[in-house]
Amino acid sequence: MKKRVFKIGAVALVSAFALSACGGTTESPSNEGSNGSAPAAVDPANLETEISILAPSYADSSKSDWDAIIAKFNETYPKVKVNLQIEGWDGFAEKISARIQAGDYPDILNDNAFAASADAGLLYPIDEVVSADTIAAIEPSLLANGVGADGTQWAAPDIASARMLIYNTDLFEKAGIAAAPKSWAEMEDAATKLVALGDGTVGYGMPLGSEEAQVESSLWLWGAGGTWVDGENLVADTPEAVEAFTEMKKLHSEGLTQPKLEDNRQDVANLMHAGKLGMIVGHSQIVADAEAQGINVALAPVPDKAGGDGVTTGVTDFIVAFNNEDADRKAATGALLDLMYSDAMYEGWYKGTKLLPVTTSMIEKAKADATTDNEKGFLEALSIVKFLPVGNTQWDALQTSLQGNAYRVGTDDPAALLKEIQAQVDAQS
Amino acid sequence: MLKKARAATTVGRPRAGRGRATLVALPWLLPTLLLIVGVVLYPAGLMVYTSFFKYNKQGIRRSDDPIGLDNYIGPAGALTFPGVPIGRILLNTVVWVVVVVIITVLLSLLIAQFLNKPFRGRKLLRLFIILPWACSVVMTATVFRYGLQENVGLFNRLLVDTGILEVGRAWTKDPTSAFWIAVFVAIYVSLPFTSYTILAGLQAVPTDVLEAAHVDGATATQRYFQIVLPLLRPAIATAALINIINVFNSLPILRILQETPGYHTGHITTTLMYEYQRALGPGVSSALSVLNFLFCLVIIAIYLVVVRPTKEVD
Repeated sequence: MKKRVFKIGAVALVSAFALSACGGTTESPSNEGSNGSAPAAVDPANLETEISILAPSYADSSKSDWDAIIAKFNETYPKVKVNLQIEGWDGFAEKISARIQAGDYPDILNDNAFAASADAGLLYPIDEVVSADTIAAIEPSLLANGVGADGTQWAAPDIASARMLIYNTDLFEKAGIAAAPKSWAEMEDAATKLVALGDGTVGYGMPLGSEEAQVESSLWLWGAGGTWVDGENLVADTPEAVEAFTEMKKLHSEGLTQPKLEDNRQDVANLMHAGKLGMIVGHSQIVADAEAQGINVALAPVPDKAGGDGVTTGVTDFIVAFNNEDADRKAATGALLDLMYSDAMYEGWYKGTKLLPVTTSMIEKAKADATTDNEKGFLEALSIVKFLPVGNTQWDALQTSLQGNAYRVGTDDPAALLKEIQAQVDAQS
Repeated sequence: MLKKARAATTVGRPRAGRGRATLVALPWLLPTLLLIVGVVLYPAGLMVYTSFFKYNKQGIRRSDDPIGLDNYIGPAGALTFPGVPIGRILLNTVVWVVVVVIITVLLSLLIAQFLNKPFRGRKLLRLFIILPWACSVVMTATVFRYGLQENVGLFNRLLVDTGILEVGRAWTKDPTSAFWIAVFVAIYVSLPFTSYTILAGLQAVPTDVLEAAHVDGATATQRYFQIVLPLLRPAIATAALINIINVFNSLPILRILQETPGYHTGHITTTLMYEYQRALGPGVSSALSVLNFLFCLVIIAIYLVVVRPTKEVD
């Protein structure tokens, strides 16, 4: 009986493998391009393979935006079948893990992190896949964000967003605040005046929930003049971090923030859109939504401790290419990405996301097209933004730990809390 | 063949006969066996195996050598990861299972008794009581979560408008209050199944026995505790056991109703497992899963020893 079970099991397994393998077909491997010229080496009309894309849903149009690129791609590469999978951001990491664990690597992945996959040796360096022209088209300050700790360009940014202080100008006027705050002290002062307006008005929205805690706490850390990066390591319990967390705690304990620090960005943005929030650090979508609700808002750099130039943080999402050990798929992947970053295709694609472009030409065009100060503000910030250390392999651990713990600054001692976050990061390295 | 096998048994070679009968039954059993091996034994084995290797968060195995008990008690182990209130979480798990199952069974006894009485509209009422069971647990939990939202939730509005609360509370953003709300929801969704199991048991209680007791002068209380309840024992045993396993492994209710991120004091081991899977990867998560399985076995063993649900049944 046992034998039979094994036999049938074996047959089932083999057929499962056969089924799942039908993507990577038998074409004899063409010449493996050692540099960015791989796509040019194959004849587009005869390249026959199948590649897959896994991308998040930025907006309702995300699927059709990708489909437009794929349709254009298939005009030159008629025999390449492109499978597109679009998933919501919620639980996106789990979807990726599921595919990685099943050994079904997407050829193109659009995500907000790359360090873990790069460290595990699953990726092609992106400059080996796409052409040198495509790399050159991306704004250098943004491109640098896709470099791993080992100095390799593992990922190419595909979309950016800058975070700035967004404030409600009507509430500011009502509370008699003349200008946007530049220092922490001015910020406390402004928030106190805003709260004094009553009617449930909140001074500053501080989302420390699992979605945004890493961005919010980084901003405060940078404002205190600190950084997570210490040589090759990331360190959470620095004196500057304690100072930053102490200031966050102060704002909360004085009743200047929303009552629950574990709120996510959307919870706080809702307050903004209801006209009940004075200040929030956010990106262009929050401004657009607020304006759509008839709330008047303006932008300023995020205040820092001493009232210097302020800090502006940038977030980019990335394109990474998984190594499926198939030269044809690699060639097709490179060709598709080159097409995607071309001005003709990229403009429609990035506009669909309602975020900011990453190619130099499109940033210039968007600046020229921008009609309001708020639109210009975010675009101008793009060249001076600071990034989270996403290329560091420890960032995943630190980010997860911040997402799970940062909100406790409202109740716990900042130094002890940061020690615990550090302990969680240490335990994983 | 079947005839031959039967003949063999009658001739008085029970051992050989039984072996043959098993062989004959095999083709019919095979699909079930395959299913058990495929969906129960293989995954369970894989889980134990996985728990001895190092994985990263994305589920990529980082070394080919087993790492011993590191996923259990290492620096980033399931029981020893810094910042995890593991004692409290184990206690929560016991409280969760015990409270939910006991209250569910007690309430179900009442409901079943009531539904067993003949009255107008009984069918309709029975239908209504089965509704929470017909709804998806995720949906039910989500309704409660939205209803308890601090600013716009309907339950909060009700509490404020009736003057019970001054301002709405963020019920699901406090680990303790969210835990008890989850207990309530878990009872709510477990009631239909339990009630119906017990109702089926009640309908099997022979009326002549009850009538005889009545004639002999037993009071209603005596009749219930000395006749009905003992006869219900198998039904209650089934209901309780299935509930213990169900409730113990219930992820969605707590997962949806707990809005606090991280390793807070409102977890049970099952939700902690999910948290580990996301933050530390499948190695540590599997380790906790193995422990969780043993823990569930212990709870069931205690139940079997203390309550002896099968007594007087055979």
